[in-house]
Amino acid sequence: MYIFFWSADEALDLSKLPAFLVEILATVLLLLNIFHEIMGRGYIVQDDVEGYLSKLCEQKADPVTGLLIGQSSTQRDFVVMAIRTPQKEESAAAARNSVDKEWVTEHARQVSRMLPGGLSVVGVFIITDADAKDALTTLRQLLFAVENLISSEHLWDPADDDVTDCVTLQINPKTRKTVCRTFDIKDPKSVAKPADWKYQSGLCSSWATVSCSLNVDMLLPLLNNRTSTGNMEECLKEGLKAWAHQIECGLCLIDGKRLPEDSELTVIQRRNLRQTYTAQLLITTENKRLTDVIQQCGGSVSVTGAIHSRAYLHSNKPKARQAEKLLKRDVVSTVATRVQMMLEELLASDQESKGSCRDKQQKELFCLPHRIFCPLKVSGPLCVCDYQFSDEDLSEVPERLKEMLDIDAAEEDLDTRQEMTVEITGCDVTPEPTQEKVEAPEHKKNYIGVAMATAVALLATAASMLYLNDI
Amino acid sequence: MVVVDSESATILRVKGLLEFRCQLDSTDEQLVRNAISRTFETLRSQVKSESCVLAVSDSPVIIWPNKDAYATPEEITPSTPCEDMHQWIQADEQETSGKKSSKKKSKKSSLSVINLRLMTEVTKPGPLSAPILTKTVLKSHFVSVTLPLDCVVRTGSSDTIKEYVLYTKHLLIEALTHQLCEMEKVTLQNMKGMTLLVPEPVHFLLPEPKGLVTVVYPAGVPDSQLVTQRKELHQQFDLPDDRPYFRRANAYHFPNEPYKDGYLRNPHLALTHPTLDNGKVYLVQGIYSYHHYMQNRVDDNGWGCAYRSLQTICSWFRQQGYVERPVPTHKEIQQALVDVGDKQASFVGSRQWIGSIEVQAVLSHLLGLTSKILFVSQGAELASKGRELANHFLTEGTPVMIGGGVLAHTILGVAWSETTGQIRYLILDPHYTGAEDLQVITDKGWCGWKGPDFWDQTAYYNLCLPQRPKVI
Repeated sequence: MYIFFWSADEALDLSKLPAFLVEILATVLLLLNIFHEIMGRGYIVQDDVEGYLSKLCEQKADPVTGLLIGQSSTQRDFVVMAIRTPQKEESAAAARNSVDKEWVTEHARQVSRMLPGGLSVVGVFIITDADAKDALTTLRQLLFAVENLISSEHLWDPADDDVTDCVTLQINPKTRKTVCRTFDIKDPKSVAKPADWKYQSGLCSSWATVSCSLNVDMLLPLLNNRTSTGNMEECLKEGLKAWAHQIECGLCLIDGKRLPEDSELTVIQRRNLRQTYTAQLLITTENKRLTDVIQQCGGSVSVTGAIHSRAYLHSNKPKARQAEKLLKRDVVSTVATRVQMMLEELLASDQESKGSCRDKQQKELFCLPHRIFCPLKVSGPLCVCDYQFSDEDLSEVPERLKEMLDIDAAEEDLDTRQEMTVEITGCDVTPEPTQEKVEAPEHKKNYIGVAMATAVALLATAASMLYLNDI
Repeated sequence: MVVVDSESATILRVKGLLEFRCQLDSTDEQLVRNAISRTFETLRSQVKSESCVLAVSDSPVIIWPNKDAYATPEEITPSTPCEDMHQWIQADEQETSGKKSSKKKSKKSSLSVINLRLMTEVTKPGPLSAPILTKTVLKSHFVSVTLPLDCVVRTGSSDTIKEYVLYTKHLLIEALTHQLCEMEKVTLQNMKGMTLLVPEPVHFLLPEPKGLVTVVYPAGVPDSQLVTQRKELHQQFDLPDDRPYFRRANAYHFPNEPYKDGYLRNPHLALTHPTLDNGKVYLVQGIYSYHHYMQNRVDDNGWGCAYRSLQTICSWFRQQGYVERPVPTHKEIQQALVDVGDKQASFVGSRQWIGSIEVQAVLSHLLGLTSKILFVSQGAELASKGRELANHFLTEGTPVMIGGGVLAHTILGVAWSETTGQIRYLILDPHYTGAEDLQVITDKGWCGWKGPDFWDQTAYYNLCLPQRPKVI
């Protein structure tokens, strides 16, 4: 029997030791092991983040909160950027000195929509010279609120290999001392565990990208007498859940090959220096429907078109199984996000049809916003994304990126080529009723309201079912 | 087309579910039919499109039939023979993963089947147009059906993978589109107002050379209401109109779909039949299940042999599609005899024996069948009943229950020589008490060929010969 000390160079041959010493050794090692576990996770952080947090320390405001963005896997944890919580315009001076939990979580929700697959909100930070214990309590509350809100919007089930530890970082602006802890957000009674926080350069360039363009074709019935936007939302949520399940169960090919789950992506192309992979998704309809074959309905809603989906993996031994999981989740969340954004728009600008039109056939077409990518750095593949409605100007995107993600981007940096916009002009369908352009005030959270132009027609790209007035 | 030798034929079976959805904004019949036809047309173009994918089950091979693409492990190239393709299909679930074993099909078993799954590729090379949400407000009806596609294509197995993929995929796509057309026809035929029946494909194995044939039936409609359709099919395939081929119970059982009830089917097929001078073998036709002592936790050891033989006969009529009633239990058999007045009420739950006459009565009362009774005063006379038994198996082909002495057995066939008079009987013995082990049953003669000395030469015997109803 041998025991290898993790610091010793040679193995210790236990058969030569008396029995009681062996027992003592075993106990000591057990304790060391436990200690090692308690030592916890280690976060490797892009060195820019240090500068960013430093600058925030120099601001007069206290406390300053924000989000930490990165990727956690069973092997490693990475943080690629930090984002301060944006200022609330209307907040009184007094309120600026306390943490607005709802504001922080809402910001996190919006930010989460702007992150492609593989990147997520992995933690929160606070810059304050308040008492360390109080700060930790605040951080803990924020962390749980943020993570619970974000995961409540997910349309997929958590996987066994999901990491549920998230990080809190507390920085004292005067001493610059940082305290880093993790909590297990699956466990409401979780206690803080210490974690390592190490800065490293070049982190942003070592990522692999898996992407695809995917067709969506959903047709769902609207229940009788329940065709308002609110009810359309319920109906769409159900339909999206079923579609998300199909995607989750789908077969994934990467660069045309079906890889065994535990294999690494680099198996496919050893010379793939740019580390970009294209994925294909094959789905089946799983179960036989047991509900009524023909049902009465008050209408229907369809979503047809294509989206571009992307996921990033840290390139140190990227696993095929993780690539597949992250890409599928991005597929589902990008479609769900756009539908959600469109519904929020409709609810906000009060697009309900009035009573007089209830008898006539009424068809409305809404362009879902399309996805635009913006690189985090000049070099390196990591991008964040934003959604642009068809009637918005491209110049609004950098404004939003600055406000939400605190990054400076120029219009020229934006990648708008991944998705095409659909032109909707003049149409045969009788529009009902005349809709005028609504100028909504600029909200921090809302995108500018979309209203339908009076004459619309569709440039057909996908096979969808349109029922015109005179069949 | 490669000439198909039925011994070496391979069946490609494609199964998949397709979602059929459409909105009917009018209840006018013609408009509804148009809408349904349009939706079927959309599904047909989907099957013919580049997003249609066939994945070979239990293997890593994926084929895009409408474009020249496939995903396979590196070892398979277009010129790999199909025999080797079987290597990639795991024969047994019990095999450890990673082991490649070839699927050996014994000559006695039926066709070799390769199963494929129909899938849809949702990814396409971009960039493509961003999605549009269309909201239609209209009081209408919404149709939502999952169509169970199930097609078979027969090919020769000597093709290489390349020929397989290039040639066979056209056949598969043709088969799928043809089935969608059939489904459309059946759906429209069975539409009544605003109700729709789901079309379901069923496969039937017709006598050679017709082979496997697929028929689309409306779900939920019992066989009794599909007589016209069956008459048409019999005419179309030139089949005799006195025995069923197209009832749902006649559906072909694919080799990779084990029967879930645990009974052995046709154990006699594992035997080698005797050769007699100028003799011929006359066997039971179709499929039966082997019923014997101790099954279903009923301890009928010593008294239930005739009941078990009767159960075997009932299983034959059920599997040939003549009856839908499940195989009766001992109690149900006893109750039937009480109901016809043959026995007292105390008979139910007892361990009393029954004989051929009772078997005939139960077949008549429970299943509506007629049977002939053959009587021999001495076991030795059975040797002279060769012609009658041979005729029975030729025309009726049903299992025969024989009772006499103190035993009951089932006769599944005879080997008989008209010139020499030599005779052998294929016996299925209900006295077996063991597990459903085909090896044991055939090795130990529980299902086996016996000579005339098998019978008690001095006892008298009654034989019950069930008659086929002349229906389709």
